[in-house]
Amino acid sequence: MTLWLMAGLLFTPLAWAVLTLLTDFSRGRLVSWAGILVQVLVSLGLWLAVARDGGFYYGLGGWDAPLGIELRVDGLAVTFVLLTAVVAGACGLHAGAYIDPDKPWHRYFWPLFWFLWSGLNAVWLGGDLFNLYVGLELISLSAVGLVALGGQAGALRASLRYLLAALLGSLAYLLGVALIYGQFGTLSIAGVATWLSDHPVPSGSGMALALMIAGLALKTALFPLHRWLPPAHGIAKSPVSALLSALVVKASFYIAARLWLELGQPIGSLAAAQLIGLLGSAAVVWGSWLACRQQRLKQVVAYSSVAQIGYLFLLFPLTFSVSETVSLQAQQGMTLQVISHALAKAAMFLAAGNLILSVGSNRVDALAGVSRFLPFSLFSFGLAGVSLMSLPPSGGFAAKWLLLQASLGSGQWWWVLVLLAGGLLSAAYIFRIYRASFLESSGTDQFFHPSRSLEVIPLILAMLALGLGLASDQVLTVMALPFEGEGAP
Amino acid sequence: MIQALRISAIAIACLMFVAGLAASIWAIAGNPLPESLPQLLSENMSRSGVEHPVTAVLLNFRSYDTLLEIGVLVIAGIAGISMAKTTSLEDPELRTSDSLLYALQRWFVPLMLVLAGYLLWAGADRPGGAFQAGAVLAATGVLMRLGGIPMEFIRPGLLLRLGLALGFTVFLLVALASAIGGDAFLAYPPAMAKTLIVVIESVLTLSIAMVLLALFVSAPVNDAEDPEEGGSS
Repeated sequence: MTLWLMAGLLFTPLAWAVLTLLTDFSRGRLVSWAGILVQVLVSLGLWLAVARDGGFYYGLGGWDAPLGIELRVDGLAVTFVLLTAVVAGACGLHAGAYIDPDKPWHRYFWPLFWFLWSGLNAVWLGGDLFNLYVGLELISLSAVGLVALGGQAGALRASLRYLLAALLGSLAYLLGVALIYGQFGTLSIAGVATWLSDHPVPSGSGMALALMIAGLALKTALFPLHRWLPPAHGIAKSPVSALLSALVVKASFYIAARLWLELGQPIGSLAAAQLIGLLGSAAVVWGSWLACRQQRLKQVVAYSSVAQIGYLFLLFPLTFSVSETVSLQAQQGMTLQVISHALAKAAMFLAAGNLILSVGSNRVDALAGVSRFLPFSLFSFGLAGVSLMSLPPSGGFAAKWLLLQASLGSGQWWWVLVLLAGGLLSAAYIFRIYRASFLESSGTDQFFHPSRSLEVIPLILAMLALGLGLASDQVLTVMALPFEGEGAP
Repeated sequence: MIQALRISAIAIACLMFVAGLAASIWAIAGNPLPESLPQLLSENMSRSGVEHPVTAVLLNFRSYDTLLEIGVLVIAGIAGISMAKTTSLEDPELRTSDSLLYALQRWFVPLMLVLAGYLLWAGADRPGGAFQAGAVLAATGVLMRLGGIPMEFIRPGLLLRLGLALGFTVFLLVALASAIGGDAFLAYPPAMAKTLIVVIESVLTLSIAMVLLALFVSAPVNDAEDPEEGGSS
């Protein structure tokens, strides 16, 4: 049964990429609906299977690591697979109604979308350093293709910048992988971790970890390497921006976190952990500040992503040389932050797309009067904002509560200041949008009203982000499931 | 002055990086390997279906990587043709009418096609295989294109998209068939490993050549425009 689920999970996105390449946008949309349904069912099935029986290793082609490639199917991985199915499915449905089917270049949207999805699944499940690199390449190239799709000079400039940043990050990561392979003779993360657990750390491996994490930080747009993100996320079509902000940047962060949790303790150092935490804090403050100052709606949301990504990097200092409980709290907080930010940011970008469609302008000050005539779109935007501001009972609140406890538990009180400042600043940029929308410019409704299906999708995502705080216990228990045959598959 | 300072700062940073990298490579080279993958590889070669270790790794032991890498190539091809303007592709002005080049081509093109076939076949027991053969095939296409030989199939129509996807599709079908057959995703039945690898390599050659050629032929000449959402135009 799990074999079928795995094959379905790996096969459907790739097969659908080929199928939709051969059709045009409208027929590709029908095919993609079926694909989204299959993918959601398979992800849910795998999640239930792992929740019942625990995680397992899956050797591709019947070859076990280190000779072949092994996938690591554990609670965290299937949770992210399911998250991807929900968020990407929602973005796909939204795109089907949002994107103009008559423009010939939009036929390439679906194949790129499905390749992006397959890359995401490959990264969540990957347990092999080189396979993760290939997954990252799938994601980056299809994301760049989606940003550039049919765009004018501005979109091409942003996507080229994105491409160069992503390639530089990939190459730094690959250099680190080569050093690890030279050092340990294997590409399996579990293999390296097992060897390190009963041997002294060989000299020269710090460079490898540093290169990999630096490359991944560039791909995740950690401050001060964030400059490529706002133009690319701001100029892409809204469903694409939602995919990029919600899922694509999380993939490279996920690999960095996996590496740090497996190899950080033996290879890393306290200074490195604190430095990464410091950069994350700077991202929270600087990203939020810039979000307050943007004139265009989607730029506000994009800079908000830079800030929210900063929180994720607090994982590094909060799991280094701390007690088991604190480390677990930090990991749980990070996971909730990834999930709630993915749901909330996807909802926010989709709602922003609807708002832009309605008012016909991408400027914040054009939103005047929206709250009176388009309360529905604004409501989804605001609900997503609640999770970003981390007010209870949202998932963002639960995440920051856990990170707060971990900071206090490990005596690193300075991160608490960052969490508080970040919450206040995010409230500032979200209320700024509200304020613009409550102004009344004229008494008549001159807005275009998007169809109900466009409006409902961001609302559902925002509700999920809000409800995550209530269901966080269930989510976290699946993640913490015991992993059968740890280390030795 | 500021320019010079900047350049020297960048140069110093690069030098420090290279020195650090060299130091860690030196340190790594001094350590013994805890695990010998080449030895493990040679022990399993007999079960791989081919004699050349690189081909065995690419198409059997780590075939999942190769499958996804072909996906990356297809993405590059899609992204390339999505930006191309259809009509300019067969622009007569872009063709040369150099008679010397034309005469040379009559010698070179068949020779290169044979070379591509040889490289594909050689992959079984010596360096070679789909990627090399595909590159040579694509180069042949580039030469034909520059020499002004019309290539109808390279227009961004259904035929081009079929060609881009062909190798990837066959690879994927084999992967699925193995899953239906009861083994893991991408596990070839040992008796058929050789046949399957040859089939996959052949169609991959065609598709790799198609992707590279499509990227060359459809260099972005885009004046079709899609204004930014909510933009003024």
